[in-house]
Amino acid sequence: MMTPTWLLRRPAPPEPGTDPAQDPADPSEQDTPEQDTPEQDAGDRDAPDGDTGDAPDAPDGDAPVDKAVAHGRLRRAALAGTAAALVLGGCAFFYAAHQLRSAAPARNHALTDAEATARVAGDVGDALARIFSYTPDGTAAAERSASTVLDGRAARQYETLFARVRDDLTEQRVTLSTRAVRTGVVELDGDRARLLVFLDQTSHRDKGKATTAAAQLTVTARLDDDRWRIVDIKAR
Amino acid sequence: MTRAARLLRLGGSRPLPALALALTLVAGGFAAWAGQDWYRAAHDEQAAYAVQRDAALSAGEQAVQNLNTLDHRELKRGLDLWESSTTGELHEQLASGRDEFAAQVKEAKTVSTARVLSGAVTELDDRAGRARVLVALRVTVQAADGAKSDKDSRMLGELTRTDGRWKLSALGQAPVGGTSTG
Repeated sequence: MMTPTWLLRRPAPPEPGTDPAQDPADPSEQDTPEQDTPEQDAGDRDAPDGDTGDAPDAPDGDAPVDKAVAHGRLRRAALAGTAAALVLGGCAFFYAAHQLRSAAPARNHALTDAEATARVAGDVGDALARIFSYTPDGTAAAERSASTVLDGRAARQYETLFARVRDDLTEQRVTLSTRAVRTGVVELDGDRARLLVFLDQTSHRDKGKATTAAAQLTVTARLDDDRWRIVDIKAR
Repeated sequence: MTRAARLLRLGGSRPLPALALALTLVAGGFAAWAGQDWYRAAHDEQAAYAVQRDAALSAGEQAVQNLNTLDHRELKRGLDLWESSTTGELHEQLASGRDEFAAQVKEAKTVSTARVLSGAVTELDDRAGRARVLVALRVTVQAADGAKSDKDSRMLGELTRTDGRWKLSALGQAPVGGTSTG
């Protein structure tokens, strides 16, 4: 690839008729064809005495060398300037992207992550239905469910509530069945979620008539071991 | 080719420019990565969807509150607010029944004040501009004799985006004891 350049710069062959490309008399020139520009010569001359470029008193420090040194400085300054601009620009973009991602709407994955939203809504709705449904023959099933789906404050609330009403329930033969009719995820951020749940609670005493009551709850849930557990319940 | 060779040779004799060049390349790579990362964040469809969800929820909560608030002493203001919070069929219903309703409230001399306890978006079609919300509401009604009563209600609202704003296009109580789910 370099041969054509070298051929053009090469002085006229000494003997007409011989092939210039295969001239054995001038092997050094053939080996280092780039050496003939002044800039490259400057680079070579600096090398032996370890000078990094600003060498006005170099042995043969003539005009081309000064020019080359100035060139080198300019190039380095340009390089440094470019690098600084790129770093600054990169930081600006990085910061702007971070701002966008950490904005409140983007952090809340309710509905944006449809699968996770459906899952937490389903888990919490099922859990509420199970812990608030019981028959006169026992609240054991509901309480067993509660121990697996409730945690934290919600578990304590539930225990307090049941300790108070357990005896009455069996005595009055109350049946309660609860259904989550509407579940909306207010907030979903990683392993925490807040939901608004509309419940229908149908109850009847012994063989009495069933009555249905409406309840609105806001529920806080936490993802634990790949399962959503209710940690707080507030009646609305 | 000559240029590359020159740069290489410079690297051999002067380590500083080679280092500077390498740093510049790294800086360029960083800038390019950060730039496209920002572009993706700025054009993130999920983020735009999240913004619409929050806009729909706050507009929905406000509209539901507006429609459950009415002071018989400021009927015009209250009913104007009802109309500006709604669109579509609901808007037409309110507009056509306005005079009759105003007469009733004037007669009853009631003051209703609503407070949103909690709300959530359950469905959002960003492109069609439709959303559904659940709102838990407490309405305090003050009768003519000054007696106050609280009533909690759970509302289902449907929102439609008109001219970039979310407005209520349907509103009703969530049925109790029905068969609907969701």
